Amino acid sequence: MRKMLLAAVAAASLLTTASVAEEMVFASWGGTYQEAIRKVWLTPFSKETGISVEEDTEPEVAKIKAMVDTNSVTWDVVTGGGGTLMRGVNLGLFEKITPDMVNQDHVIPGARNDYGVPSEIFSSLIGFSTKAFPDGKPQPATFADFWNVEKFPGKRTLPDKAETVLEAALIADGVEMGKVYEVLSTEEGLKRALNKVRALKPHVAAFWSSGAQPVQMLGSGEAVMAFGWNGRFQGGIDSNLPIKMSWEQQIPQVGFFMIPKGAPDKAAAVKFLNYVVKPENNAKLSEFVAYGPVTEKAWAFIDAKRAERLPSTAERLKNALFLDISWWAKNGTKASEAYTAMLKD
Amino acid sequence: MSEQGMSVTMRVGAERRPFRIPGGWIGVLPFLIVLVFLFLIPVATLLKSAFGDGAFTLEHFVRAVEVPVYRSVLLTTLTISGTVALLAVVMSYPLAYLMATSRDTTRNILLVVVLLPFWTSSLVRTTAWIILLQSNGVLNQMLMGSGLTDAPIAFVYNLSGVLIGMTHVLMPFVVLPLYASFRALDVSTVRAAESLGAGPVTTFRRIILPLTAPGVVAGAMIVFMNAVGFYITPALMGGPGQTMIAQMIANNITRELNWGFAAALAIILLAVALGLFALFQRIFGLERLISGSGGKSAEPFGTDHRRSPGGWVSVALGLLVAAFLIAPILIVFPMSLGSSSFLTFPPESYSFQWYENFFTASKWMNALTRSLQVAGITVAVSLLIGTAAAVGLTRIDRRWRGLIEAVFILPMIVPVIILSIGLYYLLVPAGLVGTIWGLALGHIVLASPYVFITVRASLASFDRNLELAAQGLGASWLTMFRRVMLPCIMPGVVGGAIFAFITSFDDVVLALFLTNVRSRTLPKLMYEGVAHEIDPTIIAASGLIIIVTVLVLAANLLISRKKP
Repeated sequence: MRKMLLAAVAAASLLTTASVAEEMVFASWGGTYQEAIRKVWLTPFSKETGISVEEDTEPEVAKIKAMVDTNSVTWDVVTGGGGTLMRGVNLGLFEKITPDMVNQDHVIPGARNDYGVPSEIFSSLIGFSTKAFPDGKPQPATFADFWNVEKFPGKRTLPDKAETVLEAALIADGVEMGKVYEVLSTEEGLKRALNKVRALKPHVAAFWSSGAQPVQMLGSGEAVMAFGWNGRFQGGIDSNLPIKMSWEQQIPQVGFFMIPKGAPDKAAAVKFLNYVVKPENNAKLSEFVAYGPVTEKAWAFIDAKRAERLPSTAERLKNALFLDISWWAKNGTKASEAYTAMLKD
Repeated sequence: MSEQGMSVTMRVGAERRPFRIPGGWIGVLPFLIVLVFLFLIPVATLLKSAFGDGAFTLEHFVRAVEVPVYRSVLLTTLTISGTVALLAVVMSYPLAYLMATSRDTTRNILLVVVLLPFWTSSLVRTTAWIILLQSNGVLNQMLMGSGLTDAPIAFVYNLSGVLIGMTHVLMPFVVLPLYASFRALDVSTVRAAESLGAGPVTTFRRIILPLTAPGVVAGAMIVFMNAVGFYITPALMGGPGQTMIAQMIANNITRELNWGFAAALAIILLAVALGLFALFQRIFGLERLISGSGGKSAEPFGTDHRRSPGGWVSVALGLLVAAFLIAPILIVFPMSLGSSSFLTFPPESYSFQWYENFFTASKWMNALTRSLQVAGITVAVSLLIGTAAAVGLTRIDRRWRGLIEAVFILPMIVPVIILSIGLYYLLVPAGLVGTIWGLALGHIVLASPYVFITVRASLASFDRNLELAAQGLGASWLTMFRRVMLPCIMPGVVGGAIFAFITSFDDVVLALFLTNVRSRTLPKLMYEGVAHEIDPTIIAASGLIIIVTVLVLAANLLISRKKP
């Protein structure tokens, strides 16, 4: 059945891919994020190269798999996080990006990957309500403070997924940043992280499933402290919600742009990836969203005021543990299962 | 066959001449064909991967059984679904009673109250509930302000949150068929019981409950089967203790990309749900209820019936339930007028910016138009094949009925994400992915079972002798259907149409896979970017849809009142 379908699709796609003018289809997650990308990258790129850019939304990795399986890939560039990238790579969903195609020498080492070009850096960190912890009084700064319910009483909110939480738990428990994944790889280490989260459970108002929730909860007072994404906290701060972030410790993650295997206009996609990773262009995204550039050279194009909002300044990266996407690709299933079981107890 | 089944058959045989139109299959076949090609084949293609991609293996099943968390999640799913079905039934009685015994205007208003929650997206609904229920939300402020409690009560992010959210969304599936049953109930039976000295409890237990059972059973079944596949509401309104199996299936498909394991979980869920369905059929069987229930009421339950004290209690309870249904809708408006891009209630300052946004950015209007187109196609086709199947099924050999019925309700149980992926593989070669037609095909699969079940329940009050009489007088079958049967089953048809519409109008999951940026529907557009932010324009969109619905219904009321 599947084979017959594939044959039919292959025949059909031979007829349709004979396009004339160069064009590219870019798919991302809609909303203000995609609007920002359009303004700083898609439109200028189209003007500069004459390549017309079509947009689509919601590039679910499951849909990419369905497209690749049926030879009906319509997207040339898709965006996603490290987890998506690694799981897709395991199933052979993305084109390998060699140094000849896109030179990534100037990219921060923690952000490089063979199958994706990093577009931005965002971060998981502590956001807290300034109503509960006003300026001039003690404010939570470290992950240990997040767990310290005596000094900083009140409800917390944490992600309902294990990624970043287990790391933060170990750091709060006193593990050095450099040793976190080593510890987490052992049976006892995983248990230690899970127990740390378990101990906090009575003080957790909710485990959030969408990035907007922690900001909403801090804004409404449902929680006084949240472990969430800097871009969302910043959005809340910009809307005058009583929120502040602590940059003392953070777990940065990289957003990637990938080329699905069998993309109809790969050449145009490669040109676009080169455009995005160029320092002066890469610097521009932060004009609209609080995500940092992926190359140190980009800082020359960012003023101090804007840098104040971004997670990837040299100074802030000193206290940061990059999310290790290869570790999660290898151990994610087991760790996630254990995390869910611990939450459910 | 059980003894009771035997006696029913015998009774039917004695009362009515065995009369069988071979055309029964003509009615059933279109729906059956649609399900085989657009549901069974695509879903089976995906579920096959539970046994390994290449060589046969049972490792996915072994993991699902051996790791305790999956068992506990399955148990949670069944418990929550059962509780929601029970709550929906209990809460529906007073409301349906109130509707059936009110004057036309009041009844129409109540009908709007029951249906309005559906006209908003599930995203907006859950957001509104959270704002109402959170610890410093509207309800807690009222409770604490009135001195009823000192500390806020945790209504949300726990079991009560899930129950509230799910019962709210699923309740109309019981209210509407129950309302139809009440209308078909002969009020003289109630009067007779009362004049013989029966109290309200006895009247309810001995008269009303048995006579309304077909509608309730159909509704409760829809609620339960639907609930086992829920995942957005429990994820947003529940806590980790309320993780449901569909969440894990969806997570394995979209995040972990472990389709084999997702398929294994789906097969287990399907087996358990079908087992329960079979058990359910045996105990309450639609079949038994349908053969056992009486004809059309001589004097419908109406306003002239004087309320007993028990009736007044029911009215009060009915009003409370109506308030429950409408509560989140009432705060959508003030929320949509807030000027902050973060939803607060009450808003600190007001503006029309989100409404402006809706009209100025063409994408919103385009998406709304497309949603209405898809829903239109879905309602038309599913009404046709669902009704034909329900009528046809009563006319085919008894031994096939159970099996066919089980097939017909399958689309309600299988988590939509499984169908989405399966349909994607099927529709790509036909060039239907990215068109509204492909999406409509998927929605027809999801919507037709509702039409089938509601029409089947309403056929319970249709007296087959009327059919024989009409045909005996020389009417063709079609004339008989149009003039005699259709008017009788109309409540079921209308209910089915409404369910079909909302199924299509609120779907995100199929739209995610089967549409692109040019063919996206309103729920898909609302869902975009939601992982990062909630664009208040979606609240404004819901607000607008509610206003339009209310205006249309109000105009309808005014016009119909002018008629003599």
